[in-house]
Amino acid sequence: MGVSRRELFKVAGLGAVLGALQLPSIACAAKSANSMLPPSKGKRIVIVGGGWAGVTAAKYIRKEIPDSEVVLIEQRKLFMSCPISNIWLAGLVDLEFLMHDFLTPASKYGYTFINATVTDVDREKRRVYTDQGYVEYDYLILAPGIRYNYEAWFGQDKEMARYTQKHFPSAFIPGSEHLRLKKKVHNFEGGTFVLVVPPPPHRCPPAPYERAAMIAHVFRENEAKAKLVILDPKPKIAPKGPGFRMAFEELYLDIIEYVPNAKVKEVDPVKKVIKTTAGEFKFDDANLNPPHQAADIAWKAGLVNPKTGWCDVDPITLQSKVDPRIFIPGDANSVKGFPKSGDMANNQTKYMLVKAIKAMIEGKDPLEYVKAPTNTCYSMVNGDPMEAIVINVIYDIDKQKRMPVKKKVNVQNERSTKLARATFEWAKAMYRDMFS
Amino acid sequence: MNRRQLIKTCTSLATLSLFSFTFLSARLSAQENTFKRYKRALLLDKNGNPISPDSIERGKQYIFFYPYRSTPAFLINLGKEVKPAVVKLSDGTTYEWKGGVGPKKSIVAFCAICPHQLSFPTPEYSFINYYPPDKRSKTAKRGNVIQCCAHMSVFDPERGGIVLDGPSEYPLLSIVLEESEGKLFAVGTLGVELFRDFFDAYRSELKKMYGSFRKAKKKVDKSVVLEVEEYVKEIIYC
Repeated sequence: MGVSRRELFKVAGLGAVLGALQLPSIACAAKSANSMLPPSKGKRIVIVGGGWAGVTAAKYIRKEIPDSEVVLIEQRKLFMSCPISNIWLAGLVDLEFLMHDFLTPASKYGYTFINATVTDVDREKRRVYTDQGYVEYDYLILAPGIRYNYEAWFGQDKEMARYTQKHFPSAFIPGSEHLRLKKKVHNFEGGTFVLVVPPPPHRCPPAPYERAAMIAHVFRENEAKAKLVILDPKPKIAPKGPGFRMAFEELYLDIIEYVPNAKVKEVDPVKKVIKTTAGEFKFDDANLNPPHQAADIAWKAGLVNPKTGWCDVDPITLQSKVDPRIFIPGDANSVKGFPKSGDMANNQTKYMLVKAIKAMIEGKDPLEYVKAPTNTCYSMVNGDPMEAIVINVIYDIDKQKRMPVKKKVNVQNERSTKLARATFEWAKAMYRDMFS
Repeated sequence: MNRRQLIKTCTSLATLSLFSFTFLSARLSAQENTFKRYKRALLLDKNGNPISPDSIERGKQYIFFYPYRSTPAFLINLGKEVKPAVVKLSDGTTYEWKGGVGPKKSIVAFCAICPHQLSFPTPEYSFINYYPPDKRSKTAKRGNVIQCCAHMSVFDPERGGIVLDGPSEYPLLSIVLEESEGKLFAVGTLGVELFRDFFDAYRSELKKMYGSFRKAKKKVDKSVVLEVEEYVKEIIYC
């Protein structure tokens, strides 16, 4: 839907009357009739999803727009961090380090936290339906993260998808899958363990390689007679390719076998065979990672571009191109050049989305107020001693083209214990920003 | 004097008054970006004598605590006259930074708490550091900067601590210095203060480090200057 800048301002102003805007209606299933909150006074911003983008949005909207009413809806009772989870997988940090409560920031910054599962979005009525009732919004920030696209492997065979998820969990969405994967890795005594790298774009681009390094570290510690085969659809490791390659060759040459150009053609989780463009691979155990897409609720709300599987947004405001009352930060959007990482979700939310909403409310051009984000990503590549590598990407805003562009890429591929320390400092600071 | 003794000396030498920080005044000051006067604190060397500006070596990073006994600041001799600069914030407001002090007007001081997400030097680690011209940051690919390795914010000590690169929304808070009769004094701050956020974020850590939260928030009227290497066990350059 083409919307001019002037129209966007008009629509996006919190006091604006929806009036002439024709929103496409979407079919809604049976929905609970009870409203969970009193009627909105016109300044209610509802956030769906309490991940890195959602929690950041809740805090910074309250800070930047103090008279707004912010409601965060999240289905989990506890936050579990996906970043750093590979290090936890190797037993190098406690689970407590990854876990955070939603109540502290909600209390401190004065927003409403609703622990419920969002089942639908009625864009015409501006309602978010949950398993406990509905919440009306003036503006919606949809930050649902990703879903696994098992259909790419199994078509409509849901049973096979469930079987795969149960027996060979992906663990790119925090929760039980991570705990299950950790048990599998630590209990693996010998044989071939396959790690399938999802095709790009996927959540946290370096995560599969960091995970491989951490799994290899566990195999070595356990003296497992194991081979770890990385099946990568890409022609080479990226990002931080040289750093990962050096780690694999210098630390895990006897354990890791890296296979490039291995696009998955067929997966048989029962017979434990994967056919790829680089050959057929049998495995004893595996971390099977299917392609990623925007999460279910974004599809249900009609906000996903089916050609890409991601939500198209204005790259400056992160405003949905389908519905200007909806903003989509984080992994679910399709902004070119933005990696789907926790750091980027936090940065683009804080420096772009929140500032854009504030500017719109004040009737100003968001382009003059948004700040280009950065993305800093550490990867642990050695477990003993802990050593890490890092990439830092600095973006700029191209005001002519109205889009973010990469300004600088700083990479340190030489692994070091100092960067390992910095990895934890990075994480602590991020958690502090969102949860303290 | 070993490192532990130095740290102990650093905190015990300071004559402290009761904490009287108020959120409102700090916030107002931050919003107005004005100079905020604190206690006039004499800077001392590690033997407890007033530190001579001549003894601040060029290219080294020094640390002292000001205006609170738990809020670290860098003291740096940039080796050349540092001229005043206008610091512009992202919201368009500005303030005038006075430049260097000392015989060559080459000595500057900045709060060592990263204004992005509040990393600061502890006795264990320092992720935020000054890189002299001959010791370039590998990731920033330049020297004569202050960089925080947690998220790669890079600041310019020659231009009032402005952000050169990275995610920080604010410049480094400037610590205002005065020189009088060959002695150095810290007298206040200039810029965006984030002390409230700092105390909020590190409440439990500060309690452990200083015995009580109240003690951590005491203001100082003397402060010992140490080389960062003397205070921190491991300096994390990146």
